Amino acid sequence: MSVIRFMQWLNDTAFSITMRDSTWAEPVVETIHVLTLTLFLGFTVLLDLRLLGVSMRRRRVSEVVQELNPWLVGGFLVMIVTGVLLFCGDPVAFYNSIFFKVKMLMLLLAGLNVWLFNATVGRKVAEWEIEAETPGRAKAAAVVSLVLWVAIVAAGRAIAYSLPPP
Amino acid sequence: MSLSSLLMSFCEWADNSFFGHGIRSSVWLFPFVEIFHLLALGVLGGTVLIVNLRLLGIRFQRDRVRELAREVQPWMLGSLVVMLVSGFFLFSSESVKMYGNGAFRVKMISLVLAILFTFTIHRKVAMSDEMQVSPLWRKLAAVLSLVLWSGVGLAGRAIGIV
Repeated sequence: MSVIRFMQWLNDTAFSITMRDSTWAEPVVETIHVLTLTLFLGFTVLLDLRLLGVSMRRRRVSEVVQELNPWLVGGFLVMIVTGVLLFCGDPVAFYNSIFFKVKMLMLLLAGLNVWLFNATVGRKVAEWEIEAETPGRAKAAAVVSLVLWVAIVAAGRAIAYSLPPP
Repeated sequence: MSLSSLLMSFCEWADNSFFGHGIRSSVWLFPFVEIFHLLALGVLGGTVLIVNLRLLGIRFQRDRVRELAREVQPWMLGSLVVMLVSGFFLFSSESVKMYGNGAFRVKMISLVLAILFTFTIHRKVAMSDEMQVSPLWRKLAAVLSLVLWSGVGLAGRAIGIV
């Protein structure tokens, strides 16, 4: 089954129709999606700023990660679940939006960035976190993360404006 | 001049200003400003959450509240300024409409209360010595802060719906 046919099939499921036709489903889910930015985006940005050495400087990187991570991951899961629900409400229109595709691509890159950080410089955090300066590669990962998340928020906003009005 | 007519003339001034008019007549300017509003929402909410989770004793238990609050303060203040400026521009593009919007009024009242509370009682609790304020008062301050800021966010989301 091709992707677009899958989207059309999903579009016609009872679940998708309910999401679309319900007065409250979409605004409630979107409100949760937007307000969870405080948890997920806020903590991600603060972590990146710590890696750049401009916030919570006196705290070890591993401590900041340890304290923020469970909530950050929880926030991310809420973002994914609410995001998938919003997508299910109008899959064909989302799929046809260039901003949606760009957002998904950047999400993938943000995930790769985290993986790359954890697999390389992040593994040796105990060695460098006692130094005054964060290593350049850790700073680079933080900059890439910040740039990608800003662009992801921008693309997300653009999706809402590019979808045809209900 | 009554308060309501004063507020209405302010809304009319913003509505007719070059920026209010400019944002209204542009297709992309409103969403563009919204992006800054959302990014600052993330940072402001993140810093408010960190300090309150510490006051509640859920996160950063090994650290002093005062130090943590001081460390995130510049980012809280910076993001609040971005919120207020971007919010004002969004408002200016439809300010006369906002005058009659119930959710907008709730948001503005919650915002004033949240800011007043944050920079008076909440700040005093967060900056005080651990021993001076009982855990109960600290938790109460955290809960009230979370309720007030959530009120701002929820009412803000409701503006476009009501």
